[in-house]
Amino acid sequence: MAHAVPVVSDIAFSDLLIDPYPIYKRLRDMASAVYVDAAQLALVTRFDNIVAIERDSETFASSNPGSLVNKVMGHTMMRKDGEAHATERRAIEVSFRPGTIKNHWAAQFEAISDGLISAIENQGEADLFDALAAPMASLALIELLGLREVSWQTLARWSQALMDGAGNYSGDPEISARATEASAGIDAAIDTVLAWHRENPNPAVLSSMVNAENPMNLEQIRANIKVIIGGGLNEPRDSILSLSLGLLSNPPQLAEVMANPDLWPLAFEEAVRWISPIGMYPRRVTRDVELSGVHLRAGDQIGLCVGAANRDDRRFENPDSFDLFRPKQPHLAFGAGPHFCAGAWVARQMVGRIVVPMLFSRLKNLRLRPDAPARIHGWVFRGPVSLPVAWDA
Amino acid sequence: MPTITFITAEGKEHAVTAEIGRSVMEIALEKSIPGVVAECNGSAACATCHCYFDPAYADMIGAIGEHESDMLDFTASPRRPESRLSCQVRIADALDGMTVRIPAMQ
Repeated sequence: MAHAVPVVSDIAFSDLLIDPYPIYKRLRDMASAVYVDAAQLALVTRFDNIVAIERDSETFASSNPGSLVNKVMGHTMMRKDGEAHATERRAIEVSFRPGTIKNHWAAQFEAISDGLISAIENQGEADLFDALAAPMASLALIELLGLREVSWQTLARWSQALMDGAGNYSGDPEISARATEASAGIDAAIDTVLAWHRENPNPAVLSSMVNAENPMNLEQIRANIKVIIGGGLNEPRDSILSLSLGLLSNPPQLAEVMANPDLWPLAFEEAVRWISPIGMYPRRVTRDVELSGVHLRAGDQIGLCVGAANRDDRRFENPDSFDLFRPKQPHLAFGAGPHFCAGAWVARQMVGRIVVPMLFSRLKNLRLRPDAPARIHGWVFRGPVSLPVAWDA
Repeated sequence: MPTITFITAEGKEHAVTAEIGRSVMEIALEKSIPGVVAECNGSAACATCHCYFDPAYADMIGAIGEHESDMLDFTASPRRPESRLSCQVRIADALDGMTVRIPAMQ
């Protein structure tokens, strides 16, 4: 006998932002889906439920007529299903293939990372958010997209403005205005380079979009570039910081990884399990359905909390600890199903193979600063917002 | 319906009947065969449905696409000549009797 979705009203939005994990545990132990007033969504927090949902995109759709993402960015592939999604996804796939990354992007990521680390090498201390992670993610994304004459600060500002706009449920006019301005800036930046990419096929995303077997039209290009800018900057930035924080907080694991570089990929996967940069994303229920004893109704909006699933104690032992030696098993940091993160291999290479290994090999005796502890924030998007470190300069 | 046999890394055999037109990955998930993870559910984006296919059926399972081949270079278990992403191989009558070996890691 299925029950209605239970409702929880005693959680403050700020509690979710500060530390969602105790709340996630409570929700996981309560039911497969729990409506949380502060989030205005029914949250799904168990690993197995999310996997099952992502294998059934007819019942749990990504398309959503009322989506703020569509309003802010246009009709992006992130909010499409089936063949409409697959066609657009195939068009950009070649830019994100592991081989393209290894043979083309890796050298560019290395050069960017080298430049940023060289600039701080003699300082002896820095906040890795501003000094490394934010510019690295932004500069890499500019290259990957094929934009030119856009500063990393501008791209980072656009990205934040789009994400704020997509989450602007209260309709704040100032947030809307900033999102509109960012959108216009991106359209103009695309116009500047699009003809060049059409005439000079290359591995950049804009080139893939116009030179694909089924090329995108301008409306599709604009929407999908925006979704990549909105959704492709925070994640590498935050995972650079989470991986660094995980290792700096666990010196024996750091020592092992320094002695055996083959462990870097495991360390990276553990970092994104431990603090998943995208903590929650939405789906729309298209028909009445039962989810492990809870009755969901057609039209319900549900939030898939992969940040919670990745700490599901039915699945992971001591889920709250960073342990790169835990038994290897899948996590949901890149999502699952047809919308599985297109940038997963970029992140693995850039963060796990290039930037963080270079950081630890170049800055000797890199350590946390007891006087200035790291700060971690967020739930829909979560990551360190400050990571002060010191080293022997 | 053709019968195919999955063999896990530990050597356990699972013979299953498979519906024509579906992918080998879908069959593995449907029959709860352990070791086929399929994080991306058939988008050829994650390389976690990697399997070793019976070489005797190499001509019948279709050619490896460029994208699939690229993904196969990055599987957790070593790529071998008989490696495929099981989401890219469709069940057909001609595959009756085929064995599919599941690697130790995805």
